[in-house]
Amino acid sequence: MIETDQLHIGYDQQTIVNDLNIEIPSGKITALVGANGSGKSTILKALSRLMKPSKGIVYLNGSSIHSQKTKELAKQMAILPQNPEAPQGLTVTELVTYGRAPHQRGFGSLKAHDKEMIGWAIEITGMREFANRPIDHLSGGQRQRAWIAMALAQETETLFLDEPTTFLDMAHQMEVLNILEKLNVQEHRTIVMVVHDLNHASRYAHHIVAIKHGNVVKTGTPHEVMEAGIIEKVFGIKSDIIKDPRSGMPLCLPYNLCEEQAASPIFGS
Amino acid sequence: MHSIFSGEWERKRRRRRISVFSSLAILIFIVLLFSMNSGITPLGPLEVLKTLFGFGDSNQNLVLFQFRLPRIVIALLVGAALAVSGCVLQGISRNSLADPGILGITTGAGLFVVLYISFFSSIDAASPYLLPVFALFGGLLAAALIYILAYDRQLGLVPMRMILTGIAVAAGLNALMTVLMLRLQPEQFDFVAIWLAGRIYGSTWPYVYSFLPWFIILSIFIYYRWRALDTLTFGEQMAKGLGLRVEKERLLLTFASVALAASAVSVSGGIGFVGLIAPHIARRLIGPNHALVLPASALLGGLLLLFADTLGRTIIQPSEIHAGIVVAVIGAPYFLYLLARSNV
Repeated sequence: MIETDQLHIGYDQQTIVNDLNIEIPSGKITALVGANGSGKSTILKALSRLMKPSKGIVYLNGSSIHSQKTKELAKQMAILPQNPEAPQGLTVTELVTYGRAPHQRGFGSLKAHDKEMIGWAIEITGMREFANRPIDHLSGGQRQRAWIAMALAQETETLFLDEPTTFLDMAHQMEVLNILEKLNVQEHRTIVMVVHDLNHASRYAHHIVAIKHGNVVKTGTPHEVMEAGIIEKVFGIKSDIIKDPRSGMPLCLPYNLCEEQAASPIFGS
Repeated sequence: MHSIFSGEWERKRRRRRISVFSSLAILIFIVLLFSMNSGITPLGPLEVLKTLFGFGDSNQNLVLFQFRLPRIVIALLVGAALAVSGCVLQGISRNSLADPGILGITTGAGLFVVLYISFFSSIDAASPYLLPVFALFGGLLAAALIYILAYDRQLGLVPMRMILTGIAVAAGLNALMTVLMLRLQPEQFDFVAIWLAGRIYGSTWPYVYSFLPWFIILSIFIYYRWRALDTLTFGEQMAKGLGLRVEKERLLLTFASVALAASAVSVSGGIGFVGLIAPHIARRLIGPNHALVLPASALLGGLLLLFADTLGRTIIQPSEIHAGIVVAVIGAPYFLYLLARSNV
């Protein structure tokens, strides 16, 4: 389980997140949702120690992550940032091999277990037929799966993903989310992701954290968070919440901006 | 499961690696032989081999072992050092235009070498063993200047800004060196002129012995960190996520690459572009993996500088063109080509 205790995060003098207390349950998929600039990516970075909070502590299974070695943490949590870049000509297998970096030392070469994990990660993300292709020759969806495979090869209990489906078309979005769901169901991985699409969050996540201006507006199951009033507060839109006839999960159908939002658009807030 | 690592593709890749490294070795051997038998005293290939195996007369021994070999060894080592240094700088800055020459690190080193020598009556009076130490301070000074001037609190080290600052720092240090030149004795003045033109002046064994330990220790230190270099090319966040202590590794690698380039040019003149070209060609030949790129860069750098030096001293015999100028003639267009391709 990941918990935060009165987390303050900011760049320079500007505070982005104030007094944040959240809990991320183990073995579940948690989605961080919020408008652009709400601080959800910043929170993800702080949880995964990519960013140092100015105050407060992040706990992983009861112990502070700030006092642990970054290499030890890399064996417990893997992170996929937004738009990662690979050097030209790197193949999928080579990329995934770097996921083993925290388990290796110095000149050391790949051991049998490393190879097994790499093979498994490539298999489970459906990248086997592309294993020897250079990353820059793949489609957006394939590339994202390759990066996920790399994070999986890290063999961690927790996986952080910053907008893993942005810039992908609908089929590829679904492909990526299905892989994450499979990992959660089959391997009981804890998955924490920032998602833009509320309906994806509702469909795939067990736990949603809705964030506005660096503050948590509401946390809970999709049924608890997906309420017209909360959506209005978090995103500044008016919407109807209906029931997905297939999954039974709530679906958000936006129909208008709120009045004050219509007058002053939220871009860049 | 393991088939990913043992398929036809993997075999093909291994063959390619072997062919790249063996072609480089063969090329170096050819240039080496040519370099040994060319010069003012004619020495045929057979005579070279005979002398190498200890059957030469005293004159042949003198020419080969005291004049040509040390210069050849220095050219190979300096070329390799500059290439490895450039490779590291490019890796940690994620910038294919980074090079110890362009960034002014070699100029900083040269400035301190000149300062050191100006305390003595001539280069011959100064101990070669202290040269790399002074050069190191100069190189670090240049690197610190670039860092202070180009660092942005929000964005970190922006590649283009770093290059432009480096060019400015190099120009400034060059100007300082010229000012210094005017105050020197004629003999020292000649030395600075030679340094600026990039002549391999450390062409006796003491210079080899003075540089060799630096080369060996720093190269091993850098090679041990090939995985860190690889992870850094994914960007800071990804590297951190993979468990790399980014700030610490970056600092260590910067220090090592500056020390390597600075100590290299303390026994040769200010030679540029090797650190730019060699790693770039190496990546094209062998892919992005630093475990292979580092040694391939070193071989290419050594080959390039030995070729340039040999060409420079044979093409207009008995006069010579300094290696730095030959390298620049090849390197400057290549730099412009890279600049044009990097869409900035």
